[in-house]
Amino acid sequence: MLFIVKALGLVTVQDRGWSIGRAIGLPQSGALDVEAFVTANRAVGNESGAAVLELVGGSLTVRAEVPVVIAAGGGAGARIGTQRIAAFTAYPLPAGAVVTLDTAPTGRVGYLAVAGGIDVPVILGSRSTYLPTAFGGYQGRRLQAGDRLSLGPPATAMTTGSPTEPSETGPIRVVPGPQGHLFGDESLAALESTVWQVSAASDRMGTRLIGSAIAPRVPATLPSEATCLGAIQIPDDGQPIVLLADGPTVGGYPKIGAVITADLGRFAQLGPGASVRFSWVSLAQAVPAAARWMNRVGVPSRAPSR
Amino acid sequence: MTLSGPRWPRLSPLGDSALLVTFGDRIDSSTRDRVLALADRLGHRRDLGIVELVPATVSLAIRYDPRTTDYGSLRDVVQTSIGGPVPTPPAGRLITIPVRYDGPDLAEVAAKTGLTQAEVVARHSAREYQVALLGFVPGFGYLTALDPRLVLPRRSAPRPRVPAGSVAIAGEQTGIYPAATPGGWHLLGRTRTVMFDPARDPPGLLAVGDRVRFVAED
Repeated sequence: MLFIVKALGLVTVQDRGWSIGRAIGLPQSGALDVEAFVTANRAVGNESGAAVLELVGGSLTVRAEVPVVIAAGGGAGARIGTQRIAAFTAYPLPAGAVVTLDTAPTGRVGYLAVAGGIDVPVILGSRSTYLPTAFGGYQGRRLQAGDRLSLGPPATAMTTGSPTEPSETGPIRVVPGPQGHLFGDESLAALESTVWQVSAASDRMGTRLIGSAIAPRVPATLPSEATCLGAIQIPDDGQPIVLLADGPTVGGYPKIGAVITADLGRFAQLGPGASVRFSWVSLAQAVPAAARWMNRVGVPSRAPSR
Repeated sequence: MTLSGPRWPRLSPLGDSALLVTFGDRIDSSTRDRVLALADRLGHRRDLGIVELVPATVSLAIRYDPRTTDYGSLRDVVQTSIGGPVPTPPAGRLITIPVRYDGPDLAEVAAKTGLTQAEVVARHSAREYQVALLGFVPGFGYLTALDPRLVLPRRSAPRPRVPAGSVAIAGEQTGIYPAATPGGWHLLGRTRTVMFDPARDPPGLLAVGDRVRFVAED
Protein backbone atom coordinates (compact mmCIF):
# COMPACT_ATOMS: atom_id res chain seq x y z
CA MET A 1 0.00 0.00 0.00
CA LEU A 2 0.99 3.62 -0.53
CA PHE A 3 -0.10 6.32 1.89
CA ILE A 4 -0.58 9.88 0.67
CA VAL A 5 1.05 12.09 3.29
CA LYS A 6 0.62 15.38 1.43
CA ALA A 7 -0.86 16.35 -1.93
CA LEU A 8 -0.42 20.01 -2.80
CA GLY A 9 -1.27 20.43 -6.43
CA LEU A 10 -3.35 18.21 -8.68
CA VAL A 11 -2.52 14.56 -7.98
CA THR A 12 -4.42 11.86 -9.88
CA VAL A 13 -4.03 8.24 -10.95
CA GLN A 14 -3.35 8.11 -14.70
CA ASP A 15 -2.36 5.63 -17.38
CA ARG A 16 -2.62 5.85 -21.17
CA GLY A 17 -6.27 6.83 -20.92
CA TRP A 18 -9.01 5.99 -23.42
CA SER A 19 -7.72 5.65 -26.98
CA ILE A 20 -11.31 5.21 -28.22
CA GLY A 21 -14.30 7.14 -26.98
CA ARG A 22 -14.33 10.56 -28.61
CA ALA A 23 -17.43 9.47 -30.56
CA ILE A 24 -19.33 9.31 -27.25
CA GLY A 25 -17.73 12.43 -25.81
CA LEU A 26 -15.04 10.65 -23.81
CA PRO A 27 -11.67 12.37 -24.17
CA GLN A 28 -8.42 10.44 -24.06
CA SER A 29 -7.58 11.69 -20.56
CA GLY A 30 -4.54 9.81 -19.19
CA ALA A 31 -1.00 11.06 -18.66
CA LEU A 32 -0.34 14.60 -19.91
CA ASP A 33 3.31 13.82 -20.74
CA VAL A 34 3.12 10.31 -22.16
CA GLU A 35 6.85 10.00 -22.75
CA ALA A 36 7.71 10.80 -19.12
CA PHE A 37 4.95 8.47 -17.88
CA VAL A 38 6.20 5.58 -20.03
CA THR A 39 9.83 6.18 -19.07
CA ALA A 40 9.00 6.14 -15.34
CA ASN A 41 7.13 2.84 -15.77
CA ARG A 42 9.93 1.23 -17.73
CA ALA A 43 12.41 2.28 -15.04
CA VAL A 44 10.62 0.15 -12.41
CA GLY A 45 10.08 -2.78 -14.78
CA ASN A 46 6.38 -2.14 -15.32
CA GLU A 47 4.44 -2.69 -18.48
CA SER A 48 4.76 0.76 -20.10
CA GLY A 49 1.07 1.61 -19.66
CA ALA A 50 0.78 0.80 -15.93
CA ALA A 51 -1.06 3.30 -13.76
CA VAL A 52 1.06 5.92 -11.97
CA LEU A 53 0.58 9.01 -9.85
CA GLU A 54 0.60 12.25 -11.83
CA LEU A 55 1.36 15.53 -10.09
CA VAL A 56 0.47 18.81 -11.83
CA GLY A 57 1.93 21.96 -10.31
CA GLY A 58 2.79 21.42 -6.66
CA SER A 59 4.26 18.77 -4.44
CA LEU A 60 3.39 15.24 -3.43
CA THR A 61 4.64 13.23 -0.47
CA VAL A 62 3.98 9.50 -0.31
CA ARG A 63 4.90 6.92 2.33
CA ALA A 64 5.51 3.27 1.51
CA GLU A 65 3.65 0.98 3.90
CA VAL A 66 5.41 -2.07 2.48
CA PRO A 67 8.78 -2.25 0.69
CA VAL A 68 8.32 -0.99 -2.90
CA VAL A 69 10.42 0.08 -5.87
CA ILE A 70 9.78 3.54 -7.27
CA ALA A 71 10.97 5.86 -10.02
CA ALA A 72 10.11 9.52 -10.46
CA GLY A 73 10.58 11.93 -13.33
CA GLY A 74 9.11 14.40 -15.78
CA GLY A 75 8.75 17.99 -14.70
CA ALA A 76 9.34 17.28 -11.01
CA GLY A 77 12.39 16.76 -8.86
CA ALA A 78 12.23 13.97 -6.28
CA ARG A 79 13.84 12.97 -3.03
CA ILE A 80 13.68 10.04 -0.66
CA GLY A 81 13.66 11.56 2.79
CA THR A 82 16.02 14.46 2.24
CA GLN A 83 18.20 12.70 -0.36
CA ARG A 84 17.68 13.87 -3.94
CA ILE A 85 17.27 11.01 -6.41
CA ALA A 86 17.99 10.76 -10.13
CA ALA A 87 15.15 11.02 -12.62
CA PHE A 88 13.72 7.84 -14.18
CA THR A 89 15.86 5.59 -12.00
CA ALA A 90 14.54 2.74 -9.85
CA TYR A 91 15.06 3.05 -6.10
CA PRO A 92 13.95 0.60 -3.43
CA LEU A 93 11.83 2.25 -0.80
CA PRO A 94 11.77 0.39 2.54
CA ALA A 95 8.54 0.28 4.52
CA GLY A 96 8.02 3.59 6.28
CA ALA A 97 10.23 5.56 3.88
CA VAL A 98 8.89 8.74 2.32
CA VAL A 99 9.31 10.02 -1.25
CA THR A 100 8.55 13.62 -2.23
CA LEU A 101 8.00 15.07 -5.71
CA ASP A 102 8.14 18.80 -6.28
CA THR A 103 7.44 20.61 -9.54
CA ALA A 104 8.89 23.93 -8.37
CA PRO A 105 10.39 26.07 -9.73
CA THR A 106 10.52 25.21 -13.42
CA GLY A 107 8.53 22.01 -13.88
CA ARG A 108 4.86 21.32 -14.33
CA VAL A 109 3.95 17.62 -14.58
CA GLY A 110 5.75 14.92 -12.57
CA TYR A 111 5.25 11.16 -12.37
CA LEU A 112 5.74 8.63 -9.60
CA ALA A 113 5.77 5.06 -10.89
CA VAL A 114 5.70 2.13 -8.48
CA ALA A 115 6.65 -1.44 -9.42
CA GLY A 116 3.38 -3.31 -9.95
CA GLY A 117 1.47 -0.14 -10.83
CA ILE A 118 -1.31 1.61 -8.92
CA ASP A 119 -4.20 -0.82 -8.60
CA VAL A 120 -7.52 0.94 -9.06
CA PRO A 121 -10.53 -0.47 -10.94
CA VAL A 122 -10.29 -0.60 -14.73
CA ILE A 123 -13.10 1.45 -16.30
CA LEU A 124 -13.65 1.03 -20.05
CA GLY A 125 -10.12 -0.33 -20.34
CA SER A 126 -8.28 2.37 -18.39
CA ARG A 127 -7.36 3.23 -14.81
CA SER A 128 -7.18 6.95 -15.59
CA THR A 129 -9.06 9.57 -13.59
CA TYR A 130 -11.52 11.72 -15.53
CA LEU A 131 -12.24 14.63 -13.22
CA PRO A 132 -14.98 16.55 -15.10
CA THR A 133 -17.53 13.81 -14.40
CA ALA A 134 -15.64 12.16 -11.55
CA PHE A 135 -15.04 8.64 -12.72
CA GLY A 136 -12.10 6.27 -13.03
CA GLY A 137 -8.90 6.45 -11.02
CA TYR A 138 -9.20 6.55 -7.25
CA GLN A 139 -12.91 7.12 -6.53
CA GLY A 140 -13.08 9.46 -9.54
CA ARG A 141 -11.25 12.22 -7.73
CA ARG A 142 -7.92 13.88 -7.08
CA LEU A 143 -5.87 12.37 -4.29
CA GLN A 144 -5.60 13.98 -0.89
CA ALA A 145 -3.68 13.41 2.32
CA GLY A 146 -4.80 10.27 4.06
CA ASP A 147 -5.67 8.26 0.92
CA ARG A 148 -4.31 4.70 0.70
CA LEU A 149 -3.58 3.12 -2.66
CA SER A 150 -3.22 -0.58 -3.48
CA LEU A 151 -0.47 -1.82 -5.78
CA GLY A 152 -0.45 -4.55 -8.40
CA PRO A 153 2.00 -7.44 -8.35
CA PRO A 154 5.47 -6.30 -9.47
CA ALA A 155 7.02 -7.91 -12.54
CA THR A 156 9.33 -10.76 -11.58
CA ALA A 157 12.19 -9.83 -13.88
CA MET A 158 13.44 -6.31 -13.24
CA THR A 159 14.53 -4.39 -16.27
CA THR A 160 16.78 -1.42 -16.05
CA GLY A 161 15.24 1.86 -16.96
CA SER A 162 15.84 3.10 -20.44
CA PRO A 163 17.43 6.52 -20.49
CA THR A 164 15.20 9.20 -21.88
CA GLU A 165 15.60 10.27 -25.47
CA PRO A 166 17.40 13.55 -25.83
CA SER A 167 14.41 15.84 -25.64
CA GLU A 168 13.43 18.16 -28.46
CA THR A 169 14.07 21.79 -27.86
CA GLY A 170 12.98 24.86 -29.75
CA PRO A 171 9.50 26.01 -30.68
CA ILE A 172 6.49 23.72 -30.28
CA ARG A 173 5.61 22.39 -33.73
CA VAL A 174 2.08 22.96 -35.04
CA VAL A 175 0.18 21.86 -38.14
CA PRO A 176 -2.47 23.99 -39.86
CA GLY A 177 -6.17 23.30 -40.02
CA PRO A 178 -9.01 22.72 -39.97
CA GLN A 179 -10.08 26.41 -39.93
CA GLY A 180 -6.76 28.01 -40.84
CA HIS A 181 -8.47 29.42 -43.95
CA LEU A 182 -10.70 31.60 -41.73
CA PHE A 183 -7.64 33.49 -40.50
CA GLY A 184 -5.63 36.03 -42.45
CA ASP A 185 -1.93 35.68 -43.16
CA GLU A 186 -1.16 38.12 -40.33
CA SER A 187 -2.89 35.88 -37.80
CA LEU A 188 -1.11 32.78 -39.09
CA ALA A 189 2.20 34.66 -38.88
CA ALA A 190 1.37 36.05 -35.43
CA LEU A 191 0.84 32.58 -34.03
CA GLU A 192 4.45 31.84 -34.97
CA SER A 193 6.07 35.20 -34.14
CA THR A 194 4.41 35.79 -30.76
CA VAL A 195 6.13 34.76 -27.57
CA TRP A 196 3.10 33.34 -25.75
CA GLN A 197 2.75 33.19 -22.01
CA VAL A 198 0.94 30.35 -20.26
CA SER A 199 -2.02 31.61 -18.22
CA ALA A 200 -2.66 30.55 -14.63
CA ALA A 201 -6.11 29.39 -15.77
CA SER A 202 -4.59 26.30 -17.39
CA ASP A 203 -5.47 22.78 -16.26
CA ARG A 204 -5.67 19.18 -17.51
CA MET A 205 -8.37 20.24 -19.99
CA GLY A 206 -6.34 22.90 -21.70
CA THR A 207 -3.52 25.40 -21.66
CA ARG A 208 -4.59 29.02 -22.08
CA LEU A 209 -2.15 31.39 -23.71
CA ILE A 210 -1.73 35.14 -23.39
CA GLY A 211 -0.16 37.28 -26.14
CA SER A 212 -1.13 39.15 -29.27
CA ALA A 213 -4.82 38.68 -30.07
CA ILE A 214 -5.58 36.49 -33.07
CA ALA A 215 -8.86 36.95 -34.87
CA PRO A 216 -10.59 35.27 -37.78
CA ARG A 217 -11.22 37.59 -40.75
CA VAL A 218 -14.89 37.58 -39.88
CA PRO A 219 -16.35 36.44 -36.57
CA ALA A 220 -16.92 32.73 -36.83
CA THR A 221 -19.13 30.45 -34.80
CA LEU A 222 -19.06 26.97 -36.21
CA PRO A 223 -21.56 24.21 -35.73
CA SER A 224 -19.82 22.14 -33.05
CA GLU A 225 -17.41 19.61 -34.50
CA ALA A 226 -14.77 17.18 -33.31
CA THR A 227 -11.66 18.53 -31.64
CA CYS A 228 -8.36 16.73 -31.26
CA LEU A 229 -5.61 16.57 -28.68
CA GLY A 230 -3.46 19.66 -29.13
CA ALA A 231 -6.11 21.61 -31.07
CA ILE A 232 -5.48 25.36 -30.91
CA GLN A 233 -8.88 26.96 -30.45
CA ILE A 234 -9.30 30.69 -30.94
CA PRO A 235 -12.20 31.96 -28.81
CA ASP A 236 -13.74 35.42 -29.23
CA ASP A 237 -11.07 37.17 -27.14
CA GLY A 238 -8.36 35.97 -29.53
CA GLN A 239 -6.29 34.25 -26.83
CA PRO A 240 -5.58 30.64 -27.84
CA ILE A 241 -6.64 27.61 -25.83
CA VAL A 242 -4.69 24.42 -26.55
CA LEU A 243 -6.68 21.30 -25.69
CA LEU A 244 -4.97 18.73 -23.48
CA ALA A 245 -5.86 15.22 -22.27
CA ASP A 246 -9.16 16.07 -20.50
CA GLY A 247 -10.23 18.67 -23.08
CA PRO A 248 -13.72 18.55 -24.59
CA THR A 249 -14.13 16.28 -27.61
CA VAL A 250 -16.29 18.76 -29.53
CA GLY A 251 -16.39 22.52 -29.78
CA GLY A 252 -17.47 25.45 -31.90
CA TYR A 253 -14.42 27.70 -31.72
CA PRO A 254 -12.37 27.92 -34.91
CA LYS A 255 -9.14 25.94 -34.76
CA ILE A 256 -6.20 27.66 -36.38
CA GLY A 257 -4.04 24.57 -36.06
CA ALA A 258 -2.90 21.86 -33.66
CA VAL A 259 0.21 21.00 -31.69
CA ILE A 260 1.72 17.89 -33.27
CA THR A 261 1.42 14.60 -31.36
CA ALA A 262 5.19 14.32 -30.90
CA ASP A 263 5.36 17.69 -29.08
CA LEU A 264 2.26 17.39 -26.86
CA GLY A 265 4.12 16.13 -23.78
CA ARG A 266 6.75 18.85 -24.03
CA PHE A 267 3.99 21.43 -24.42
CA ALA A 268 2.01 20.08 -21.43
CA GLN A 269 5.10 20.61 -19.27
CA LEU A 270 4.74 24.39 -19.67
CA GLY A 271 3.14 25.79 -16.54
CA PRO A 272 1.67 29.18 -15.64
CA GLY A 273 4.07 32.01 -16.49
CA ALA A 274 6.17 29.92 -18.89
CA SER A 275 6.94 31.33 -22.33
CA VAL A 276 6.34 29.36 -25.49
CA ARG A 277 6.71 29.81 -29.22
CA PHE A 278 5.14 27.87 -32.07
CA SER A 279 6.52 26.91 -35.44
CA TRP A 280 4.43 25.76 -38.40
CA VAL A 281 5.37 22.39 -39.91
CA SER A 282 3.74 20.50 -42.75
CA LEU A 283 1.54 17.46 -42.35
CA ALA A 284 4.18 15.57 -44.34
CA GLN A 285 6.60 16.19 -41.46
CA ALA A 286 4.10 15.79 -38.62
CA VAL A 287 2.51 12.45 -39.57
CA PRO A 288 5.78 10.44 -39.73
CA ALA A 289 6.94 12.20 -36.54
CA ALA A 290 3.71 11.05 -34.87
CA ALA A 291 4.29 7.49 -36.09
CA ARG A 292 7.87 7.42 -34.75
CA TRP A 293 6.75 8.91 -31.45
CA MET A 294 3.93 6.36 -31.06
CA ASN A 295 6.37 3.51 -31.68
CA ARG A 296 8.86 4.94 -29.21
CA VAL A 297 6.36 5.30 -26.39
CA GLY A 298 4.66 2.01 -27.25
CA VAL A 299 1.16 3.20 -28.10
CA PRO A 300 -0.71 -0.08 -28.74
CA SER A 301 -1.93 -0.60 -32.30
CA ARG A 302 -5.50 -1.50 -32.86
CA ALA A 303 -5.35 -4.52 -35.09
CA PRO A 304 -8.12 -4.34 -37.66
CA SER A 305 -10.79 -6.92 -36.88
CA ARG A 306 -12.26 -8.59 -39.91
CA MET B 1 -15.54 33.98 -45.04
CA THR B 2 -15.89 34.94 -48.67
CA LEU B 3 -19.17 35.53 -50.43
CA SER B 4 -18.72 32.49 -52.61
CA GLY B 5 -17.78 30.44 -49.55
CA PRO B 6 -15.76 27.29 -49.51
CA ARG B 7 -16.79 24.42 -51.69
CA TRP B 8 -18.55 21.65 -49.84
CA PRO B 9 -17.66 19.10 -48.78
CA ARG B 10 -14.41 20.41 -47.41
CA LEU B 11 -11.64 18.02 -46.38
CA SER B 12 -8.97 19.21 -43.99
CA PRO B 13 -6.49 17.87 -41.46
CA LEU B 14 -7.51 17.87 -37.81
CA GLY B 15 -4.11 17.62 -36.14
CA ASP B 16 -1.73 14.93 -37.44
CA SER B 17 -3.98 11.94 -36.75
CA ALA B 18 -7.41 12.88 -38.07
CA LEU B 19 -9.18 14.09 -41.18
CA LEU B 20 -12.23 16.30 -40.93
CA VAL B 21 -14.94 16.19 -43.59
CA THR B 22 -17.30 19.19 -43.39
CA PHE B 23 -20.45 18.99 -45.49
CA GLY B 24 -21.69 22.55 -45.02
CA ASP B 25 -22.10 25.36 -42.53
CA ARG B 26 -25.85 25.06 -41.98
CA ILE B 27 -27.40 22.57 -39.63
CA ASP B 28 -30.16 20.79 -41.54
CA SER B 29 -31.34 17.26 -42.04
CA SER B 30 -29.86 16.76 -45.51
CA THR B 31 -26.39 17.74 -44.25
CA ARG B 32 -26.84 15.41 -41.28
CA ASP B 33 -27.83 12.61 -43.63
CA ARG B 34 -24.58 13.06 -45.51
CA VAL B 35 -22.58 12.86 -42.27
CA LEU B 36 -24.36 9.71 -41.16
CA ALA B 37 -24.17 8.12 -44.60
CA LEU B 38 -20.40 8.58 -44.79
CA ALA B 39 -19.98 7.32 -41.23
CA ASP B 40 -22.05 4.27 -42.10
CA ARG B 41 -20.00 3.60 -45.23
CA LEU B 42 -16.61 4.00 -43.56
CA GLY B 43 -17.74 2.19 -40.42
CA HIS B 44 -17.79 -1.04 -42.39
CA ARG B 45 -14.23 -0.65 -43.64
CA ARG B 46 -11.68 -2.38 -41.45
CA ASP B 47 -8.77 -2.01 -43.84
CA LEU B 48 -8.11 1.71 -43.79
CA GLY B 49 -6.26 2.31 -40.53
CA ILE B 50 -9.25 4.18 -39.12
CA VAL B 51 -9.21 4.36 -35.33
CA GLU B 52 -12.56 6.02 -34.69
CA LEU B 53 -15.27 8.06 -36.43
CA VAL B 54 -16.57 11.14 -34.62
CA PRO B 55 -19.78 12.44 -36.24
CA ALA B 56 -21.13 15.91 -35.53
CA THR B 57 -23.95 18.03 -36.94
CA VAL B 58 -22.30 19.00 -40.24
CA SER B 59 -18.99 17.14 -40.12
CA LEU B 60 -17.34 13.78 -39.63
CA ALA B 61 -13.89 13.43 -38.07
CA ILE B 62 -11.97 10.35 -39.13
CA ARG B 63 -9.25 9.48 -36.61
CA TYR B 64 -6.45 7.41 -38.11
CA ASP B 65 -3.31 5.66 -36.91
CA PRO B 66 -0.34 7.50 -38.48
CA ARG B 67 1.62 4.22 -38.34
CA THR B 68 -0.72 2.51 -40.79
CA THR B 69 -2.00 5.27 -43.06
CA ASP B 70 -1.69 8.97 -43.71
CA TYR B 71 -3.83 11.94 -44.56
CA GLY B 72 -3.42 11.70 -48.32
CA SER B 73 -4.45 8.05 -48.56
CA LEU B 74 -7.56 8.58 -46.46
CA ARG B 75 -8.45 11.73 -48.37
CA ASP B 76 -8.48 9.73 -51.59
CA VAL B 77 -10.76 7.09 -50.05
CA VAL B 78 -13.13 9.72 -48.69
CA GLN B 79 -13.28 11.59 -51.97
CA THR B 80 -14.37 8.48 -53.82
CA SER B 81 -16.89 7.65 -51.06
CA ILE B 82 -18.72 10.97 -51.04
CA GLY B 83 -19.53 11.26 -54.72
CA GLY B 84 -22.91 10.37 -56.14
CA PRO B 85 -26.34 10.47 -54.59
CA VAL B 86 -26.62 10.47 -50.81
CA PRO B 87 -27.94 7.14 -49.60
CA THR B 88 -30.53 7.31 -46.85
CA PRO B 89 -28.70 6.72 -43.57
CA PRO B 90 -29.94 3.88 -41.40
CA ALA B 91 -32.85 4.91 -39.17
CA GLY B 92 -31.72 5.56 -35.61
CA ARG B 93 -33.19 3.77 -32.63
CA LEU B 94 -36.12 5.42 -30.83
CA ILE B 95 -35.33 6.10 -27.17
CA THR B 96 -38.03 7.26 -24.75
CA ILE B 97 -36.99 9.35 -21.76
CA PRO B 98 -39.49 9.89 -18.92
CA VAL B 99 -39.18 13.39 -17.49
CA ARG B 100 -40.50 15.00 -14.36
CA TYR B 101 -41.00 18.58 -15.56
CA ASP B 102 -40.31 20.47 -12.34
CA GLY B 103 -37.04 22.17 -13.28
CA PRO B 104 -35.89 25.41 -11.65
CA ASP B 105 -36.06 27.33 -14.95
CA LEU B 106 -39.49 26.19 -16.10
CA ALA B 107 -41.22 29.35 -14.86
CA GLU B 108 -38.58 31.63 -16.37
CA VAL B 109 -38.74 29.84 -19.72
CA ALA B 110 -42.52 30.20 -19.70
CA ALA B 111 -42.22 33.92 -18.93
CA LYS B 112 -39.59 34.56 -21.61
CA THR B 113 -41.43 32.63 -24.30
CA GLY B 114 -44.89 33.96 -23.40
CA LEU B 115 -46.20 30.44 -22.90
CA THR B 116 -47.72 28.79 -19.86
CA GLN B 117 -45.60 26.21 -18.06
CA ALA B 118 -47.96 23.50 -19.30
CA GLU B 119 -47.48 24.72 -22.87
CA VAL B 120 -43.69 24.66 -22.48
CA VAL B 121 -43.91 21.06 -21.30
CA ALA B 122 -46.34 20.13 -24.06
CA ARG B 123 -44.15 21.63 -26.77
CA HIS B 124 -40.94 20.12 -25.39
CA SER B 125 -42.45 16.64 -25.16
CA ALA B 126 -44.35 16.81 -28.45
CA ARG B 127 -41.37 16.44 -30.73
CA GLU B 128 -39.18 13.62 -31.81
CA TYR B 129 -35.58 14.80 -31.60
CA GLN B 130 -32.46 13.45 -33.24
CA VAL B 131 -29.08 13.03 -31.55
CA ALA B 132 -26.90 15.33 -33.64
CA LEU B 133 -23.73 15.22 -31.59
CA LEU B 134 -22.25 13.72 -28.44
CA GLY B 135 -19.79 15.68 -26.37
CA PHE B 136 -19.26 18.32 -23.70
CA VAL B 137 -18.95 15.42 -21.27
CA PRO B 138 -19.28 11.68 -22.00
CA GLY B 139 -22.84 10.79 -22.92
CA PHE B 140 -24.15 14.34 -23.36
CA GLY B 141 -26.28 14.34 -26.50
CA TYR B 142 -27.13 17.52 -28.41
CA LEU B 143 -30.70 16.87 -29.59
CA THR B 144 -32.30 18.77 -32.46
CA ALA B 145 -34.50 20.44 -33.34
CA LEU B 146 -36.32 22.29 -30.61
CA ASP B 147 -39.76 23.86 -31.15
CA PRO B 148 -38.98 27.38 -32.45
CA ARG B 149 -41.17 28.88 -29.72
CA LEU B 150 -38.79 27.45 -27.07
CA VAL B 151 -35.57 28.82 -28.57
CA LEU B 152 -33.74 30.99 -26.02
CA PRO B 153 -30.11 31.98 -25.63
CA ARG B 154 -28.13 30.29 -22.89
CA ARG B 155 -28.41 31.63 -19.38
CA SER B 156 -26.19 34.67 -18.94
CA ALA B 157 -24.52 33.12 -15.89
CA PRO B 158 -23.89 29.37 -16.10
CA ARG B 159 -24.64 27.36 -12.96
CA PRO B 160 -21.52 25.96 -11.28
CA ARG B 161 -23.32 22.66 -10.78
CA VAL B 162 -26.25 21.21 -12.70
CA PRO B 163 -27.61 17.95 -11.21
CA ALA B 164 -27.22 14.72 -13.17
CA GLY B 165 -30.35 13.85 -15.15
CA SER B 166 -31.35 17.48 -15.73
CA VAL B 167 -33.32 17.94 -18.96
CA ALA B 168 -32.44 21.30 -20.46
CA ILE B 169 -32.76 23.56 -23.48
CA ALA B 170 -30.54 26.20 -25.12
CA GLY B 171 -30.66 27.64 -28.61
CA GLU B 172 -32.27 25.15 -30.98
CA GLN B 173 -31.18 22.20 -28.88
CA THR B 174 -32.23 20.15 -25.93
CA GLY B 175 -30.23 17.65 -23.91
CA ILE B 176 -29.82 15.68 -20.72
CA TYR B 177 -26.90 16.25 -18.35
CA PRO B 178 -25.43 12.78 -17.76
CA ALA B 179 -23.45 13.86 -14.69
CA ALA B 180 -23.27 16.79 -12.32
CA THR B 181 -21.29 19.48 -14.15
CA PRO B 182 -21.32 23.24 -14.65
CA GLY B 183 -23.93 24.24 -17.21
CA GLY B 184 -25.61 27.23 -18.83
CA TRP B 185 -28.74 25.64 -20.28
CA HIS B 186 -32.29 26.21 -18.99
CA LEU B 187 -33.40 23.34 -16.76
CA LEU B 188 -36.94 22.14 -17.50
CA GLY B 189 -36.97 18.93 -15.51
CA ARG B 190 -35.20 15.76 -14.50
CA THR B 191 -35.07 12.15 -15.59
CA ARG B 192 -34.04 9.07 -13.66
CA THR B 193 -32.73 7.48 -16.85
CA VAL B 194 -28.97 6.91 -16.52
CA MET B 195 -27.44 8.52 -19.60
CA PHE B 196 -23.85 7.38 -19.06
CA ASP B 197 -22.59 4.55 -16.90
CA PRO B 198 -18.93 3.59 -17.32
CA ALA B 199 -19.77 0.10 -16.05
CA ARG B 200 -22.31 -0.46 -18.84
CA ASP B 201 -21.53 -1.69 -22.36
CA PRO B 202 -21.93 0.53 -24.25
CA PRO B 203 -21.57 3.10 -21.47
CA GLY B 204 -23.63 5.81 -23.15
CA LEU B 205 -27.36 5.47 -23.77
CA LEU B 206 -27.34 7.67 -26.89
CA ALA B 207 -25.60 7.35 -30.25
CA VAL B 208 -25.50 9.96 -33.00
CA GLY B 209 -28.51 9.42 -35.27
CA ASP B 210 -30.76 8.01 -32.53
CA ARG B 211 -34.25 9.49 -32.14
CA VAL B 212 -35.40 10.67 -28.72
CA ARG B 213 -38.83 11.36 -27.25
CA PHE B 214 -39.52 12.89 -23.84
CA VAL B 215 -42.59 11.70 -21.97
CA ALA B 216 -43.96 13.80 -19.09
CA GLU B 217 -44.44 11.87 -15.88
CA ASP B 218 -46.04 13.02 -12.65
